[in-house]
Amino acid sequence: MLHRMNPSVKFVFITVSMIAMAFFFNPWTPLVFFTGVIFMQIAFAKIAWKTWSLMMLPFLLGAIGYFWTTLVFGNEDSTIGTALSLSFRVLAFSSLSLLFVFTTKPVDFIMSLMQQLKLSPKIAYSILVGYQFLPVLKDEFFQIQQAQQLRGVEVPKPPVKRVLAMRHVLIPMLAGAVRKAERTAFAMEARGFTGEGKRDFYRKISVSRADAAGAVLFLILLIGSMAAGFLS
Amino acid sequence: MHNVISLEKVSFRFPEDELPVFEKVDLNVSAGERIVITGPSGCGKSSLLYLLNRLYPENCDGIVSGKVELFKKAAAEYAPGEINQRIATVFQDPDSQFCMQTVEEELAFTLENVKVPVGKIDERITRVLQETGLEDFRHSVIQTLSGGQKQRVATACAWVLEPEVLLLDEPLTHLDPVTAKEFVAWLRELHQTRDLTVIAIDHQVELWDGFFDREWQMAPAKVSSRIVKREPVHAGKIALSAKALAVSPILSPISFSLHQGEIAVLAGPNGSGKSTLLKALCGLKSTGGSVEPKRIGYVPQSPEFLFLTKSVRDELAFGGGDQVDEMIERLYLKPVSEAHPFAVSHGQKRRVAIGAMLCDGRPVIVMDEPTAGQDAAALTELENLIKARANEGVTFLIVTHDMNFAHRTAETLLLLKNGQLSGQFKPSAVWQNAQLLNAHRLCAPSGGVRFASPHESFG
Amino acid sequence: MLKSWKLKEVVLMSLFAVVFGIIYLLFLHVGNIWASLIGPIAYEWIFGIWFIVSIIVMAILRKPGAAVIPETMAAAIEVMLGNAVGPRLILAGVIQGLGAEAVFAATRYRHFNVGIYMLAGAGAAVFSFVYGYLLGGFAALSTEYVLLMFVIRVMSGAIIAGIGGKYLVDALLATGSLRGYAITKRDAHA
Repeated sequence: MLHRMNPSVKFVFITVSMIAMAFFFNPWTPLVFFTGVIFMQIAFAKIAWKTWSLMMLPFLLGAIGYFWTTLVFGNEDSTIGTALSLSFRVLAFSSLSLLFVFTTKPVDFIMSLMQQLKLSPKIAYSILVGYQFLPVLKDEFFQIQQAQQLRGVEVPKPPVKRVLAMRHVLIPMLAGAVRKAERTAFAMEARGFTGEGKRDFYRKISVSRADAAGAVLFLILLIGSMAAGFLS
Repeated sequence: MHNVISLEKVSFRFPEDELPVFEKVDLNVSAGERIVITGPSGCGKSSLLYLLNRLYPENCDGIVSGKVELFKKAAAEYAPGEINQRIATVFQDPDSQFCMQTVEEELAFTLENVKVPVGKIDERITRVLQETGLEDFRHSVIQTLSGGQKQRVATACAWVLEPEVLLLDEPLTHLDPVTAKEFVAWLRELHQTRDLTVIAIDHQVELWDGFFDREWQMAPAKVSSRIVKREPVHAGKIALSAKALAVSPILSPISFSLHQGEIAVLAGPNGSGKSTLLKALCGLKSTGGSVEPKRIGYVPQSPEFLFLTKSVRDELAFGGGDQVDEMIERLYLKPVSEAHPFAVSHGQKRRVAIGAMLCDGRPVIVMDEPTAGQDAAALTELENLIKARANEGVTFLIVTHDMNFAHRTAETLLLLKNGQLSGQFKPSAVWQNAQLLNAHRLCAPSGGVRFASPHESFG
Repeated sequence: MLKSWKLKEVVLMSLFAVVFGIIYLLFLHVGNIWASLIGPIAYEWIFGIWFIVSIIVMAILRKPGAAVIPETMAAAIEVMLGNAVGPRLILAGVIQGLGAEAVFAATRYRHFNVGIYMLAGAGAAVFSFVYGYLLGGFAALSTEYVLLMFVIRVMSGAIIAGIGGKYLVDALLATGSLRGYAITKRDAHA
């Protein structure tokens, strides 16, 4: 069902939930929310859990970092509870994000932003252009890096130097991007795209009953986790 | 026949420039005509074409004078996008003319643009896919298609608009000769189903095999330079030897060797492993075998991928060589030696890349598709550059599909197929062997040196 | 606002966003590993990389929106790539972009020099910090620590996004590939 939800509706609910979470500093609210989101994914979505775990791992590490940072550098009112709360918040946010990532098709998301949230077609289609250029540009990135390695440019290990070394690769990539952008924009205009006026869509991204059900679920979860916080 | 396009004393200039791109051009095209516009690169062919589909002057704030009439109405009177339904365009770069992921989405995008009622879109897509024979590609992801397939999809996107005029902006430039001929044959068949006007620009008119009724030369071809004479290869001295290079699963073990001053061409179908072999030679891929010498010069299709500095001179000096000034002289780079390497012409960029490799002490140079998208003058320049260096003892291995170029330049032909080396041949032996040519998707050269008029020498 | 934008300019923003999106992703992984060791402060010093696309695109196009739109597009594209940070990245993108945009708007889009770029980088840092303060719960941390994070982020914004952005734009300008965009117009350096 989460897969069938409208991407914009999902986007709005996830954003609202995250902003709501920001006002709670007890451990229970984010913990209950985190658990709830996982149950939602188990019950209402098809998730590749192996990939999910791999993507979750860095956030788990981040949560640990948060935990001890809050313990060591917390202000006078901070307790272990606060530290746990912030770590769980990291986990709750990440599980929500992964829920979105795993149940939403990227192109549908942009189409939905255009159809439901009135994103300008000029911007939306440009984003789609960028998205489909990604593999091309990624490939180019490695090609340039290899060509430059041949000339004796090493990729330095220290992070600061690595940032600086990036400039050599960036210049040819950006110069190429300017050229590709113009060509693609011309091709779009030559097919009558102006970005202005009303637009009707061949493939409509609709809002359905799944969205109502999803909305109810999110609300229950949000209220439930807040209640858990007040009760403790 | 009435005129669909009529230009009268048209001049065009970019706002940044003092000089016009072209001046006082007259051109009339009548309905149903098939015309090809030719002229050396830089003569403004593309700019002219963009005036016809209204990409210019708006997109570059260009300054137009004279009369541009499309269907008997002044071009400027059309609203943005209005003309593009009647005048559709196919561009040259197969990799940058799509904005959606799949063929169906791209066609739908096109039809939505011109406000075709949503209920009719499915029918229109089905019909155009049938007409163009692309039914099987309806749900294909465009980026996964080959260059030739992409150009057909781009044509289908123009065709679906049911235009009266079709503009072709060098659509064969990025295709290899066999694919280009297949594309032309396909387009010819498609054109027979609808009698529309075709206006193309291209520099390889011979590939079109009589498709056009009329050729219009926008500017006279530049007088081509004299061809550098090749000196015989000093047999005996091996300059490059590769033993059992293998990259699984792309390349089976490959061994070959080239002599000092030899020019070899490496050819084979797309996906046969040519680029991988070049990278393996340069040590950019780990292989089981060995390459001698260790340091090999590499010139990618976009030479600017190599550039690291802000001037041509610094670029040559980057590797620490001591013969920079001599090399600048020899490669005719003196006038641009202080220019930014990105800002010089494509031919100059290639010379900078070769110069950098030579200064760096890499007398064996491999080049990845240097002939792609080059007009006749650029090819002559490339040929001279390579021959002059080879005469000095530099060894070349060049990947190209262009057998005319191979015929004029190479002493040796390495053919690659499915990651296996079919052999190391004398080019003349391959031209006789139709089976070998077909198996490697190559066209025999159309014959001889194209330009013979003597002119200043160019190394 | 969008009426004055040519399509090629909007697509340019998008492709730049993709290029920097690739860079961002590379650094996000670096940041993640560090974050487990030294906590959220790990991201602070490289935060400027996240703001650089606003500054570069604004320097090239010089129009209202040229800071906030590409930053938001960069975030949207990262979400499409399956960045695990997900939808909240888009909100972050809008807010950061607005921080840089505010500085350019204050000059009425008339001044483009390294000082302004550094201020814009710092502006993006300040806006993003306020957002991070709320969502990241920095309120629970001691004032000194928060202040340290803030200073590092603002400096990173000014140096990496401001100076780095200026460096990249100048290098790109020298290649001659920006012909026809606002940065090369004759009155651009007035």
